[in-house]
Amino acid sequence: MIKFENVSKSYSKGSPAVKDVSFEIDRGEFVFLIGASGSGKTTLIRLMVREEKPDEGTIWVAGKNLVTMPSWKVPHFRRNVGVIFQDFRLLPNKTVAQNVAFALQVIGKPNRFIATQVPQILRLVGLEDKMDRFPHQLSGGEQQRVAIARAFVNRPLILLADEPTGNLDPETSWGVMNLLERINRTGTAVVMATHDVGIVDSMRRRVIEIDDGRLSRDQVRGVYGLGV
Amino acid sequence: MSLAAIFTVAISLSLVGSALLIKQGVSTATAEWKGNVQLLVFLQPKISPTEFTAVKDQLRQLPAVKSFSYVPRAQAYADFRRLLANQPDLVNAVPESAVPTFLRVSLVNPAETRAVAAIFQGQPGVDTVNDNFSAINTITTVSNVAQTVILAIAVILLVSAAVLILNVIRVAIFSRRREVAVMRLVGATNSFIQIPFMLEGLVQGLIGALVATGVVILVKSFIGYAISHFKMHLLQGFVLTSHNLIDTIAVIVVAGVVVGTLGSTIAVRRFLSA
Repeated sequence: MIKFENVSKSYSKGSPAVKDVSFEIDRGEFVFLIGASGSGKTTLIRLMVREEKPDEGTIWVAGKNLVTMPSWKVPHFRRNVGVIFQDFRLLPNKTVAQNVAFALQVIGKPNRFIATQVPQILRLVGLEDKMDRFPHQLSGGEQQRVAIARAFVNRPLILLADEPTGNLDPETSWGVMNLLERINRTGTAVVMATHDVGIVDSMRRRVIEIDDGRLSRDQVRGVYGLGV
Repeated sequence: MSLAAIFTVAISLSLVGSALLIKQGVSTATAEWKGNVQLLVFLQPKISPTEFTAVKDQLRQLPAVKSFSYVPRAQAYADFRRLLANQPDLVNAVPESAVPTFLRVSLVNPAETRAVAAIFQGQPGVDTVNDNFSAINTITTVSNVAQTVILAIAVILLVSAAVLILNVIRVAIFSRRREVAVMRLVGATNSFIQIPFMLEGLVQGLIGALVATGVVILVKSFIGYAISHFKMHLLQGFVLTSHNLIDTIAVIVVAGVVVGTLGSTIAVRRFLSA
């Protein structure tokens, strides 16, 4: 599903670089991407959606070679990959339902399809009674669930999450993790960059650790610390 | 819909359009002045009828001559008195018999004035030829310089208008960068993202151009009014035809649409690259 082969990427302006990273993530896996701030986690996520191109190496995502992919094919590729962020990135002047619908409108889905999909996905994330609220009327956890609904409404094969619980308190974080796990059970691969020790330790999922741009650990049922 | 962009287009194109209109006016006025330039062939008082006929025949045969007319002594004297009416001493000192008769010659092309003058200079029966050549030369030079300067101003205005409009549109799109970012995130195609911005730019450019058209029409009627009302004889040739106006409006509308559409396309493209 996702395959990095000897990928390197460096920036002239000192952003975290990635050095000779190789790993493979299968269909339906749940993977934590851990490492200190500035170790290159976000860079890896950006490489996976082709926000960036690597300097060296090959990246395969959803059966596509991202290095040789022409830029006009990128939008269609991105429809197979949902992304959520620490800062949610919702549109403040649109309601919950409009935010989710927007993601379908801009890829040209018919209105009738949107009208059935949006309430369905909002029920999945538990926000069916807050469809007409605006983002600022919701809690952080609720906003992140809207963002997940938007990322997942198109039923992507892969969901990438860049520190999705970074702005949330522990209790709300667990609500978001439960949701991600449910999504994972539908067969969608979930890759989550985080440094939330508690979540990683208790979920007991595959852990890929990045240290200063290099892959330092790839463990099947890992925890955050070094011990097992 | 960004009001700032519309205003910018409207003001810039009003200036450009007015400059173009004035340039056309100067061009027409110069042509008019040149067309009015005449050659005066003064005849000697004792010219014989055969010499007089020879001169007239020659004028008739020259292709450079558009028309000519003979001014007899009585009329020449009357003109003389009228033109120098404020100098009665001089007028009274000159008897009618001392005023020379002359031929008033209009040419097809004012540039040939000097050549035609040379032909008649020293011809039997001809006293002198008043060719006004240097005056024509000055008018032509001044007019050319004026037209070039106005055109340069119009071009500079157009370029700065384009830059200004681009910036205004860029600011407008910058305020919607979040929307653009989400569209990119969920896989909207570039054309899907661009087309609404392009259409918006087109409409804004068009509205701005229409406002500018109104301003230019006002400028045209104001110039016409000023010239007729204040009896500026020197500017009598400064006529702006409706043809000039239509040309100018066409330039304004095309410029508005092109600048608006292109500006928003370039501005939004910056957010799409990477």
